[in-house]
Amino acid sequence: MRQNSTILRLQNVSKIYQMGEVEVPALKNVTVDINKGDFVAIIGASGSGKSTMMNLIGCLDLPTEGNILLKDQNITRLSESDLASLRGKTIGFIFQQYNLIPSITAFENVLLPMEFQEIGDNEANQRVKKILEIVGLTDKGHHLPTQLSGGQQQRVSIARSLATDPEIILADEPTGALDSVTGKQVMEMLTNLWKEGKTIIMVTHDLNLAKYAHTTIELKDGQIIKINKRLR
Amino acid sequence: MVLHAKIRSWLTILGIVIGVAAVISIVSMGEALQQDMTSQLGDLGGDILTLTAGASKAQGFGPGRDKSGGGSATASEEEVVVDKTDLQVLKGISDIKLLDTQIKGSADVYYVAEKGSVNVNGVDPATWSQITTSEIAEGRMLGPSDSNVVVVGGKIANGFFDKNLGVNQLITIEDKLFRIIGVLDDTSTSIYMPINAAYEILEDKEKGVYDSIVIQIKDEDQLEQAIDNIESKLLISRHVTSDKKDFTINSNAQSNEARAEMMGSMTTFLTAIAAVALLVGAVGIANTMFTSVLEKTKEIGIMKAIGARNNDIMTIFLLNAALIGLIGGLLGVVFGFMLSGVLPALMGDSGGIMGRMTSAGSVISLSSVFLALGMSVFIGIISGVVPAYQASRLKPVDALRYE
Repeated sequence: MRQNSTILRLQNVSKIYQMGEVEVPALKNVTVDINKGDFVAIIGASGSGKSTMMNLIGCLDLPTEGNILLKDQNITRLSESDLASLRGKTIGFIFQQYNLIPSITAFENVLLPMEFQEIGDNEANQRVKKILEIVGLTDKGHHLPTQLSGGQQQRVSIARSLATDPEIILADEPTGALDSVTGKQVMEMLTNLWKEGKTIIMVTHDLNLAKYAHTTIELKDGQIIKINKRLR
Repeated sequence: MVLHAKIRSWLTILGIVIGVAAVISIVSMGEALQQDMTSQLGDLGGDILTLTAGASKAQGFGPGRDKSGGGSATASEEEVVVDKTDLQVLKGISDIKLLDTQIKGSADVYYVAEKGSVNVNGVDPATWSQITTSEIAEGRMLGPSDSNVVVVGGKIANGFFDKNLGVNQLITIEDKLFRIIGVLDDTSTSIYMPINAAYEILEDKEKGVYDSIVIQIKDEDQLEQAIDNIESKLLISRHVTSDKKDFTINSNAQSNEARAEMMGSMTTFLTAIAAVALLVGAVGIANTMFTSVLEKTKEIGIMKAIGARNNDIMTIFLLNAALIGLIGGLLGVVFGFMLSGVLPALMGDSGGIMGRMTSAGSVISLSSVFLALGMSVFIGIISGVVPAYQASRLKPVDALRYE
C-alpha cells in the first residue's frame, strides 16, 4: 500500500546564478510536491534547469527565493551541519559518473556514508556486506573503483546510496555512462528499490528512462511546463 | 591521503624528518655536553682555586707587584706577576689546605733520533699529586724528593714518537736528561716535572716567579668566604685596592658553570637554526595540504553529498597533516638518534667548543624524543589548519562541479 504523504515540497523556488554582473535565472518560481514512495523523473532539454533542481532537491545548494521542505523541515533555515546530517540520513545519491572515491575500495566507498552518520563498526560492516550482496558485488568489495567496469561502479554507487537506508534516492542520469544492457539492469535495480518503498527521483534527458517513472516533471527554461502522473 | 599521494607526501615528510633529526641530534649533543660539564665539575672538585697575575677583563691594572719585588707607583709599567711573596701570604691563610706553584712553557723533547714540541709544566712535587685531577695510568706521581724525573701525558707515551715510551725510560728535554716515572691516564701532550727542574728548562722563567698558584681550600662549602679572605689578604700585601686589583682568582666551580652556561647558549643557538629547518618542513606540509585540497575538491564534494559535515572534512585534513607530522617526527627521531651517534665521529678531534661537543658524545633523553614528536604533530596540525578550514568551507555543489 503506497503512502501519499508529501516527503518533499518546493514552494515558489527560484535560483539565480550571479555571473559577474549578470544574473542568470536557472529556476523560476517552481512549486511542486513529491510524495513518499513516488518514482519521479525530472526531464527537459539541456539548460532547462534539471541539474539546478536536482541540486536543490538534494540539499546540495540553497534557493535564491522560496522554500524547500524536506520531511517538513525547511532546509533554507538549517545550519550547514544540520543540512549535511539531514542529507546523509534522508537522501542517497547516484551520479552519472558514479563519483566514487578512487583511493578506497568498493567496500570502503559503501561504508563511508555510515562513518559520517557514526553508525557502529560492526553494524556498518554487516550492512555493507548485505548491500553489496543486493547489488551483486559480494566478491568485488576489495576492488578499487578503477578495477571495476562502468556497470559495476554504478552498482557500487547504488550500494553507497543505500548505505544509510535513506527514504529518497536521487539519481542524476544514472545510465548516462553505461551501455544499454547495463543501463537496463541499473534501471531494474532502481525499480526494485522503488517497489521496496524508496522514493526515487531521477533526473534525465532520456525519455525512454522516464517511462520507468510514475510522475514526470518536465522543465523548460527553468519553469515546470508539465507534470504527468501515471496510474500505478 | 598520505598513503595515496605517495611521492609528494614522502617529500613533505622528508622536510619534517630533516628538521626533527637536526633538532634531536643537536639537543642530544648539547645535553651530553652539559652532563659532561656537570661530571667534570664533580671530578675537578669545587675546592680548587687558581691565582694568576693580572686583572680579570672587568678591571684595570693597579700598581701591583712587578718582577723587582714590592709595589710602587711606577710598577704599572712593569709586568705584573705572582711570586714567592704571594706564596708566603697564602701560606698564612687558615682557609687554605694545599698550595701548588706552577710554571708553564713549551720545550723540545728528544727520544732516540726523534724530536717534538711539548708543553712543560713545572709543579710543586710535594703537593701536585694531591691537587691535580689527572689520574696515573702507569708508574707513580711526582714526590717531594724528586728532581730530574717527569710524569708524561698519555699521548706522549703512546703515539707521539714512533716507539712508545714507558716508565723508567729516559728522554731529553732541551739539553737535560729526565727519567719517566709515570704516565697519565689522558690524551695530553704535557710533561710534568718538579718546578725547580722546569726553571732550568724554561729559561725565560725567573725563579721565585710563578705563572699560577693552585690553591686547595679546606672547606668547599666555604668557597666564597675563602676567596674573599684570600683576596683581601693579597690586596693588602700587593698594595692595591679592589678596583685596581692586579690578580685574578678563578675557581673551577665558577669557570665550569660559566662554560656550561656558554655551552647551553650555544646549544640553544644551534637548536634555533635546526628549528628553522623544522619551520621549512611546516611550510612544506601547508603546501602539500593546499595542493591536496585542490586535488581532492571533487572528493570533498562527494563526501559532503553523502553526509559529511564541515567538521568531518576539517578532521580528515587535520588528521592527514598530523599524520605527516607524526611520521616525519618518528623518522626524524630515528635519524636524529643515528646522526647524533655519527656526528661526533665525523666532526673529529676539533678544538674549542665543537671539540668539547664532539668528545662529549650524545645523550637522547626521553623528554626530548616526546618533545620532538609532540612538536612535529603540532606543526603538522598548525600547518594543516588553514587548508583544512578551506576544504571544509567548500560548497558541495561547487565542489562536485570541480574538474
